[in-house]
Amino acid sequence: MKMMWFHLMPYPNLPDDFNINHRSVWVDIDPALFDRDVMAETYDTYIDQLVYAEDCGFDGICVNEHHNNGYGLMPSPNLIAAILANRTSRAAITVLGNSVALYNPPLRVAEEFAMLDLFSRGRLIAGFPVGTAMDTTHSYGINPGTLRPRYYEGIELIMKAWQSTEPFAFNGRFNQQRYVNPVPRPWQKPHPPVWIPGGGSVETWDFCAENDFVYGALTYYGYKMVRETVAGYWSRVEAHGRDDNPHRLAVTQFIGVADTDAEAYKLYREPAEYFFNRSLHVYPGFTDAPGYVTEGSVRARYNSQVRQVARNKQAKHDLTWDEMVDNGYVVIGGPDTVREQLEEAATELRIGHLCAMLQFGNMNDELTRYNTNLFGEKVAPGLRTLFSEYDDPWWPENAL
Amino acid sequence: MSKRLIYLFGIAGHPETSPAMRAVEDAGWEIVVPSVPGFDGMPGFQPRDEYLDWLTTYWDSIDATGAATADAPCPIVGASVGAMFAAEVAALRPEIVTGVALLAPFGIADATNPGFNIYGTPSGERMGHLFAKGVPDAFASRFAHLGAQEAPVASYLSDVAAANILWPLGDRGTAKRLHRVTTPRLTLWGDLDEVNPVTNAAAWGGAQVIAGAGHLLEWDAPEQVSTALLGFLNSLAR
Repeated sequence: MKMMWFHLMPYPNLPDDFNINHRSVWVDIDPALFDRDVMAETYDTYIDQLVYAEDCGFDGICVNEHHNNGYGLMPSPNLIAAILANRTSRAAITVLGNSVALYNPPLRVAEEFAMLDLFSRGRLIAGFPVGTAMDTTHSYGINPGTLRPRYYEGIELIMKAWQSTEPFAFNGRFNQQRYVNPVPRPWQKPHPPVWIPGGGSVETWDFCAENDFVYGALTYYGYKMVRETVAGYWSRVEAHGRDDNPHRLAVTQFIGVADTDAEAYKLYREPAEYFFNRSLHVYPGFTDAPGYVTEGSVRARYNSQVRQVARNKQAKHDLTWDEMVDNGYVVIGGPDTVREQLEEAATELRIGHLCAMLQFGNMNDELTRYNTNLFGEKVAPGLRTLFSEYDDPWWPENAL
Repeated sequence: MSKRLIYLFGIAGHPETSPAMRAVEDAGWEIVVPSVPGFDGMPGFQPRDEYLDWLTTYWDSIDATGAATADAPCPIVGASVGAMFAAEVAALRPEIVTGVALLAPFGIADATNPGFNIYGTPSGERMGHLFAKGVPDAFASRFAHLGAQEAPVASYLSDVAAANILWPLGDRGTAKRLHRVTTPRLTLWGDLDEVNPVTNAAAWGGAQVIAGAGHLLEWDAPEQVSTALLGFLNSLAR
């Protein structure tokens, strides 16, 4: 199993009363909450942490894209990834990813990802999420009824642009270009590995299986809550006649390691409560938009993760620390405890790529590095051999 | 002149004839309601790519009724989303329209006063923001006949159609074509319209403001709306 270090880059200074006196962390959050000095220093700290993850032996480092929010400070993950490509030499640069429909034309994604792949000499993993409703429809104003066809068409254009050996004309429903001829094209041939982060949409499972892309089950709620999603994905993989190579799947998980279980329980409470009760304090009206969920998915999964938490919070306002631990939202403990839980999860769900989130909420730099170092030293070695009998054709050419 | 009109319903669809339009009907007018895809909540609806696609969808829906032709034009009454397309048809196909009555038309937006974001609110709360005097039973239970399992799905799909037209509740460029509306025009607006504020009426050349009415004013103020409509329609028929 490969282990990635995934940074959401949350704003760490939301006020204590944020979930009481503010409507939403996303879309219409009060811009006065953000202090420019804190922002600038936070970027420096977070980028250093991602570089440190490589030093601690992680196979990859991950960034992603969000807008108008205090949950994740990366409207442009490509800017962060460009720095990481320059400051690291071994880890996979995993951008999960660019919300394709937000780029006009989406060829911009093909160009920037190709640059990142060159900067890193073939270490890029190219992620193409649809993007949350908060980001795409509410913040960027994309029509929810056309978001997905725009997304699929954008990926078609990017994949063709990367692999074409000559200029070509593209006449899509939403994009028309007389000359598609991006310079540069990626380092990796025929293209960088493609991962599709998703939240449980049936269409996304099929899309990944059909195209032989990795499916990234991006969950805030840990391996226990993502079982149903993962089972749905694997059933579609089988239906499409694909093999069950665990590397077809990536799953996110919040993790807190300490010397002992008791110490972990004490150390990670505050950052977890901050994340679930402030960073995820999303106004329910922003978690969907009519048309964002397809007709097929609205029946199959009327409740998305974000919408579910919004409803939960509406009902009871705060998640307790014990609920977070008991339900596996956060896997905490001493190294053996954490390793055992993750091994159990990886084996049950067939997780070939674990996107470990070892910084969350307002976790400070010292604790983040402690967590990262302990995981790299004492947890990762026991997990690395999982699924070593399988090839990983979805791993970048030059990431070691 | 035949007393027949085309009625283009509003943002929440057409569960049944509104009290105001029933009064118009009772006064001897035949009301023809084109079927617009999506608003019925039926499975299989495909959102349109762009505004022009919706405009031609409305044209096709009107043409399919055979009720408004160059040889036999008639008035169009439109509400909300329907009013926007009523204005578009009057601007671009004046030969089939004798007059146009617009009830709180979308299409011209003011960024300084965008109104309540109906699609930035939980689905179960949306309907309440369309009316000033409570949600009529016809809308509260608009898909109840489909059963508990399918009703919320149909409601969602109906919202998909309206949102696909209006998203992100911004300007549709109607102002650029408004000068082409040369037929007689009546514009009505509720002073309590949350989603399309009455201040937008100025961009339409003003409106007769209906006190105490919300966005779907034909339900909130049936008497005032039907009186205004009948006065206008009968003036066309004379």
